[in-house]
Amino acid sequence: MKLKKITGISLEVSGAAPEQIEPALTQIHCLCTAYKEKYNRTDFLQGLMTGNIPHYEISDRASRLHIDPEEKRILFLIEGKHFDETSGAILKNLLSCRSKTYIVPLTETLLAVIRPLCQNETFEDMRHIAETIVDTLNTEALIRVRLSYSSVMNTLADIQKAFQETNLALKVGRLFYSEQNIFPYNELGIGRLIYRLPVSLCENFLSEIFGSPIPKTLDPELMATVNRFFLNNLNIAETARQLHMHRNTLIYRLEQIEKQTGLDLRLFDDAMTFKIAMMVINYLKGNK
Amino acid sequence: MASLSLKGVQKIYPNGFHAVKDFNLEIADKEFIIFVGPSGCGKSTTLRMIAGLEDISDGVFKIDGKVMNDVEPKDRDIAMVFQNYALYPHMTVYDNMAFGLKLRKVPKAEIDKKVREAARILDLDKLLDRKPKALSGGQRQRVAMGRAIVRNPKVFLMDEPLSNLDAKLRVQMRIEISKLHENLGATIIYVTHDQTEAMTLGTRIVVMKDGVVQQVDTPQNLYNTPCNLFVAGFIGSPQMNFMDAVCSVKGDDVTLTVGKHVLKVPASKKQALINGNYDGKTVVLGIRPEDVHDSQAFISNSPDSIIESEIKVYELLGAEVFLYFDVEGTQMTARVNPRTTLRTGDKAVFALDMEKIHVFDKETELTITN
Repeated sequence: MKLKKITGISLEVSGAAPEQIEPALTQIHCLCTAYKEKYNRTDFLQGLMTGNIPHYEISDRASRLHIDPEEKRILFLIEGKHFDETSGAILKNLLSCRSKTYIVPLTETLLAVIRPLCQNETFEDMRHIAETIVDTLNTEALIRVRLSYSSVMNTLADIQKAFQETNLALKVGRLFYSEQNIFPYNELGIGRLIYRLPVSLCENFLSEIFGSPIPKTLDPELMATVNRFFLNNLNIAETARQLHMHRNTLIYRLEQIEKQTGLDLRLFDDAMTFKIAMMVINYLKGNK
Repeated sequence: MASLSLKGVQKIYPNGFHAVKDFNLEIADKEFIIFVGPSGCGKSTTLRMIAGLEDISDGVFKIDGKVMNDVEPKDRDIAMVFQNYALYPHMTVYDNMAFGLKLRKVPKAEIDKKVREAARILDLDKLLDRKPKALSGGQRQRVAMGRAIVRNPKVFLMDEPLSNLDAKLRVQMRIEISKLHENLGATIIYVTHDQTEAMTLGTRIVVMKDGVVQQVDTPQNLYNTPCNLFVAGFIGSPQMNFMDAVCSVKGDDVTLTVGKHVLKVPASKKQALINGNYDGKTVVLGIRPEDVHDSQAFISNSPDSIIESEIKVYELLGAEVFLYFDVEGTQMTARVNPRTTLRTGDKAVFALDMEKIHVFDKETELTITN
């Protein structure tokens, strides 16, 4: 069955004795593996992404599969609740005008699209492509997806790096920019920095600010106030107006935070420290 | 039949960002509801919660009385048209519209019936064999709409579907969408940041800002009786003129003073200022550009609402003229008849139609007179 699925060839094994069936099965298995290695692009690209193909084999196997090893490409990694054949078919038809675009299913929830960067295209155009992929899957497959994309790969050997970049971008995006659906690897900002920090270092930083025990979360209403204050560039009058509260109420809330943390959020340095602390708390929460 | 109900709906992201706050709305069957507001106001997030593409953090969302909070998007009987739509490039118009149904294994005859019906509604009958590259921007947009129509959903959700089209095409497509609503008799929820689109399309408009619903009303009511300064400024183009004015109450007379200009408040508006104890307080006076008049007849009949200034910019738009001038440091616009003799640099006298003024509390920004 497996051999037929990947090669289209059926093989009939005659002979009823178990000692004959066993080697036949092994041979079929070897045939499958050999076929996959030689003719199956998906298998090859999966192997490249996960680093399972030795560097010296890449060029040879790529040319056998008619994949240009030197082309500039971008990797889009798409995460959804459950990808079925529908999603694959939609993407295939959406991107099929580029014959050198490869759609590689990785798991039930992860799908990679490897797309060449055309002559007139710039890296900035990739956002529009990412938005089109997300919107099309939303509207046609009716599934919610998140997508990250890598920096430009110059050769096929860079795919593993690109895969790591997009994986990281999805993780960082989920943690720090959860209101967004698209996470370009080169726009992860301070989130990427915090993500790389060891947990113990983060905990030390938080104890320095909040003392012990470190709060697992902060009062949502207080956080909404602080977030709005930050969005308004520390402008008290505008924040109070937007939150429909008296400016003295807002000042009182900010002073409460100062009592707890020693940080006066009206000052830029303290506001920055608090903002980073919020992101670190989110990171630790996500990690757990 | 598709009525929708959103009660106390909230969206708080795991990173603490509060995108939508206490959203309450009842949408009747066949309504054309518009969510409008500036970028980041929560309108798309609300639409995505309705679609099931975002989880609802709190509150209840129902379609036809059935709670939908945890129902998968594909089981909500909705169809969507989003901003970054793309057609399948190698498929014909027919196949583009049929593809979604084919994937759902709908019988061929039924697909054919639905596609041809949608094509008829969208006036695409003669283009069914064309490929997307042979279509104009507007035709492509109609095909994208067709893909939604063939699903025959209870509710259509559209998120800025016209924003990728040029200005002329947008006007054309606005008319098409309006016709479509009439023909389909479907419930449509439409997100836009463009107030002209909102005013021309919606049966009711939901104005949002910072995740909070500011006002829900018909286009006419939003324009004539905005509930706060934000709605007053957001709805209408050019936007409403605003000036700080000091209110003074002397017996039965109420006046608003803007610098050297003293404006008499008419009977229909003054009671609210008296009742609200605004005597001596600064309020915000709002007046739409078309209610600022330069005609001699209007000026002579309105001696208590005169303002004087110098024309900074004269802008002829064909059927109307916009005159830009300053009053006490605030820039104002008047929309006047193209036969006006006023030009840039002229000293001008205007009369405000005081029956049409809007007065807002300076602190709360809520309307006093509407």
